[in-house]
Amino acid sequence: MRFTRRRFLGGAVAGALGGAGVYELVDRLTAAPKRQAVPLARLPKEQHLLDLGLVQVEGVEVVVPPLHSEVVTGTLLNVSDLRTAQPKLEQALRSLEARYAENAAGLGVTVAWGLPYFEQHVAAQAKRYLPFDRRAQKPVLLPSRRFPSDPQDTILESNDVAVLLRSDSRAHIDDARKALFDDLPFFSMTSIRRGFAGGGFEGQGTQSLPKKMAMAAGIPGADLIPDNAELFLGFTSTQKAGLGPRLIANHETLGYVDLGTGYFHGGTHMHLSHLTEDLEAWYLNFDFDERVLTAFRPGMTQVKQGAQTVAQGPKDIGPPEQLAHQFKATGRFGHSASIQATSRLQQDFVGHDGTVYPKGTAIPQRADFNTLDNPFAWTSSPERDKKSADPVAGVHFVVFNPTGDDFERNRLAMDGVLPDGTKLRVGARSRAAGFNSVLTTTHRQNFLVPPRAHRSFPLAEL
Amino acid sequence: MRATIVAGVAVLALAVLAAGAAGGTSVRDCPAVWKSGWQHLANRLQAPVYCPTWMPNPLDARIGGDYQDIYSIGKDRSYLVSFLYHGDQGTGDVHVNFRGYPGRTVIPRCKTIVLTGSKTLRGTTPCFADAHGTRKARGIVATVYRVNQDADQWHVLLAWRYAGSLYTVSEHVIRPYTYQQVVSNLDKLLASLVLVRPQG
Repeated sequence: MRFTRRRFLGGAVAGALGGAGVYELVDRLTAAPKRQAVPLARLPKEQHLLDLGLVQVEGVEVVVPPLHSEVVTGTLLNVSDLRTAQPKLEQALRSLEARYAENAAGLGVTVAWGLPYFEQHVAAQAKRYLPFDRRAQKPVLLPSRRFPSDPQDTILESNDVAVLLRSDSRAHIDDARKALFDDLPFFSMTSIRRGFAGGGFEGQGTQSLPKKMAMAAGIPGADLIPDNAELFLGFTSTQKAGLGPRLIANHETLGYVDLGTGYFHGGTHMHLSHLTEDLEAWYLNFDFDERVLTAFRPGMTQVKQGAQTVAQGPKDIGPPEQLAHQFKATGRFGHSASIQATSRLQQDFVGHDGTVYPKGTAIPQRADFNTLDNPFAWTSSPERDKKSADPVAGVHFVVFNPTGDDFERNRLAMDGVLPDGTKLRVGARSRAAGFNSVLTTTHRQNFLVPPRAHRSFPLAEL
Repeated sequence: MRATIVAGVAVLALAVLAAGAAGGTSVRDCPAVWKSGWQHLANRLQAPVYCPTWMPNPLDARIGGDYQDIYSIGKDRSYLVSFLYHGDQGTGDVHVNFRGYPGRTVIPRCKTIVLTGSKTLRGTTPCFADAHGTRKARGIVATVYRVNQDADQWHVLLAWRYAGSLYTVSEHVIRPYTYQQVVSNLDKLLASLVLVRPQG
C-alpha cells in the first residue's frame, strides 16, 4: 500500500507505524530501484564492497545507493571462548550470504570491530597483527577523537562491534539483525541506527525520498528541501567520481599501510558518526549561490540555479593551492574544496594489481545515509545518548578509508586544518567553513573492517 | 502555550474568513486602534504605507503597542516596523517585519562581514534572495524570498512594488510556527493589507 500525500502529511502517520517506525514509510513512498543482477562468481575478499548500479543525473554518473541502511553496534557478552564462538558467528554470516545475493537487491553485511574489542579480547594478538600506518607512523585503528568543529559533548563511543547492513529491502536487514544479534548469544546491542538514501532516480515521482520522509516526519525545514534532492541538503552526494573506486580504500592499495603478516589484507578502516542537520538554517540563511559555494567552493558561478548534481570529476575540481587563494580572497572555503588535497590522489598511482588510479581520483568510499534518528532508532543508553522520540534530520556518516589517519586528514581539512600544516583561520563552526555551521556531530567511533576471511572475531583463532 | 497560540490562530483565521464571507471582497480599513500609528508613519514619510488588518497570534500591529519592537526610518525614508512576541517560557517567538522603500524599487543590498583570522572581509549581498515563486492577493503580486538579511534573517519575506516603491512583509520561521505555517500566515497578512495614504 502506498501513502497518498494527504495520508502522510503532518507526520502523524509516523507514530502509527510499527517496529521500524518512520522507516517503514521508505517502502511505501518509493519503489526499489531496478538493478541489474550481476551474479558473483565468488564473493570478494573485501567485506565493505557492495555492487550498486549507476544512473545519469543531470549529465553526471551517479551511484544508486541502497534504499535502506542500518548500523547495529554492540559489545561482547561474556564470551568465554572466542575460538568456539568464531565459527558460529561465521556460520551465521555465511547463512545470510546463502540466503541473499551480495548486492543491494539482496543484502550487504559488513562486520567492523572497534578498538575495545582488540584491546580487551585479543590484546596479545592485536599487538602483533594489527596493521600499522607507515605514512602517519600510527596504528591504522586510532582512538576516536573530536575535531575542531565538534561540540564538546560529542560522544566518543567504545563499541566492540558495528555491523553495517545495506539493502533495498527492509526485511532483509531485519532478518540479518535477528540472525546476528538475537539468535546468537555473543553480543549485547548498544544501538540501532537506521536510515535511507536515494529513491528518486527513476523519475517516477515528483519528490525524492528524503523530501518525502522529512515531510512525513514533520521535520522543520522539510518544505524547503528541493523536490528531487538525493539528500536533505539538496546536492547529489553519490556521484561516481566523488566516491573511491573499488579497491582504493583497502589498507594495501595505496601503500600507506604495513600489513605485517598480511592478516588484514583486503580490509579497510571505517569511521562511523552521527550528525544532525539544521535544514532551516541551511535553506533560510544560505541562498542557492551560497549553498553552492558552501558545498563546493567559492567562485563556482557557472552552476545553474536549482541544480542538484554538480560534476565533481577530477577535471572539475580545482588544484589544492586554489583553496588557500580563494580563502584569502573571500574569507571562506567550500566543503568539497577543503578536502580535495586529502580525499583525492595528488598524482597518478598504479596499484600492485596494475590498476591505474589517475590524479584526482577520490579515495574515501562513503556509505553515509540520511536518517531521522534522534540520535539513534534505539539505544541501550538513552540518557547518555540523549535519545528523543522526536525525529531530527541527520546523517549516519559511514566512510571507508585506508587508515584512520587518512580519515582524520579529511575531517581536519573540513575544518580548515590542512595536512601541510596550513590553517584556514575561521571559526570552526562559522558559516564561512563549508557545511560546518549547519552540522552538529553527536557520536563518533573508528572501526577496523577485516577481510571477509577474518570478519568473525578477528585474531581469536591465533 | 503553543496549543493556545495555534488555537488562537485558528480562531482568528475563522474570524477573518467569517468577515470575508460576510463582507465579500469589501475593502477593510486599518483597525481603528492601529490606524493612528500607520497614518502617522505615512504622513511622516509622505508616502503610502501598508497597514495589516490581521496579524499572527498573539501579535497585533499597533505601533507604540505592547508588541512593537523596531520602529526605524532611514534618511532615505525607508522604514522598518517590527512586531515581536518573545515567549520566555520556551513557547517560541512570533516576529513580523514591515518594510517600505519609498521612491525606489530595487532590492537593497545589505552589508556582509566575514572574520578570518585577523582579517575582516566586508562586502554586500542582496537583502532579499532565493526567490521562490509569487503569492497574489488583493491586486498585489508578491515575490517570496527565502534567504534574507539583517532583521529579516531567518524570515520568509514577501516583496512587491507599488507606485514606484518597494514594500515587504516577513515573518520569522521559528517555533511555534513551521515554515509552512509562516507561509500561510504571510498569505493571510498579504490578503489583509490596506493602503494608508499620507494626509495633509
